[in-house]
Amino acid sequence: MNDFSEIEDKLRKLRPVQPSVDLMTRIELALAEARPGESLHQGNRSASTAGVLPRERRFHFNWVSLGLGLAAAAALVLFARFQLERPVKKTPALASITPIPQFSSTNSTAQFVPAGLTQVVYHTRDEGLHFPNNSEQPMRRVRSHTRETLRWRNPTTGASLRISYPSEEVSLVPVTGQ
Amino acid sequence: MENVATDENWKTCFSQLAPGLVLFARQWARSSADAEDIVQEAFVRFWRKQHDIANRGLLYAAVRSIALDFLRRDSRRARRESTAASETDQTVQPMFEIEDESQRALVAALDLLPNEQREVLVMKIWNDLTFAEIASALEISQNTAASRYRYALATLKKNLPPV
Repeated sequence: MNDFSEIEDKLRKLRPVQPSVDLMTRIELALAEARPGESLHQGNRSASTAGVLPRERRFHFNWVSLGLGLAAAAALVLFARFQLERPVKKTPALASITPIPQFSSTNSTAQFVPAGLTQVVYHTRDEGLHFPNNSEQPMRRVRSHTRETLRWRNPTTGASLRISYPSEEVSLVPVTGQ
Repeated sequence: MENVATDENWKTCFSQLAPGLVLFARQWARSSADAEDIVQEAFVRFWRKQHDIANRGLLYAAVRSIALDFLRRDSRRARRESTAASETDQTVQPMFEIEDESQRALVAALDLLPNEQREVLVMKIWNDLTFAEIASALEISQNTAASRYRYALATLKKNLPPV
């Protein structure tokens, strides 16, 4: 083994690249998230990880879920309200057996106008340097996870409609200054 | 070593092992970010099963298992993405902080090692695992682990240019 002591020393002098600073935070979050599903040795786990897994972080995560849930519920309530109000205001009782509903439906849809777009980036990940299409110019690839919310509003009735969906975007950023 | 670790044990353990674990995972991952994801998942799985924090062989076995799963998923994904993205798209992310040309040559030689030798080397040199722990992680005998280590060093020594 002594024959290799020199090469071992050289290898030990090589220092691995340090992990990103947020890795520990991400692991704490992941552990906090995993906690509720656990059933074995519950007492031990609580005692052994209480400081590593602060409850505040878990609460933060639930807060986001709660916010999204509330937004979805609000959109649903507004949409339901709009649907309930429409026959009372515009159509008499007899209208239910006439072709009028088709007319009112297209009419009310046309009255909705775009009211806003919200894009929330909740996670980005740097995927390192790339050389796309044999280019000599390195590009940094960044993957972003976003949630986009589109809103429409009916100016006459005040009703609004909201659609929210997740999306993923990959962007290439030129690297300069090397 | 007691089974139930204190909070500080977990923190200290992870902060000490993280660079080596990420380096170990990088052997199968295409980027540091992927390697960190693998380490994160392994650490959570390890914690969930309440394994002894001192059982490093098991921790590395978890990283390896998840990394291999990730590699299988990643290669399927890469095949799908290759139709849309450039085929020459290449990840250039260093695994080491290289200080001079001799270190660069050493890293290049390291890259040429067979996987089975390199993983033993990574566990031994940068993670200070014993051959018993390496054998446990890789499910091989200690003699096999030791001989792979020696073969790896011999290959590196042969391939490195004289100083």
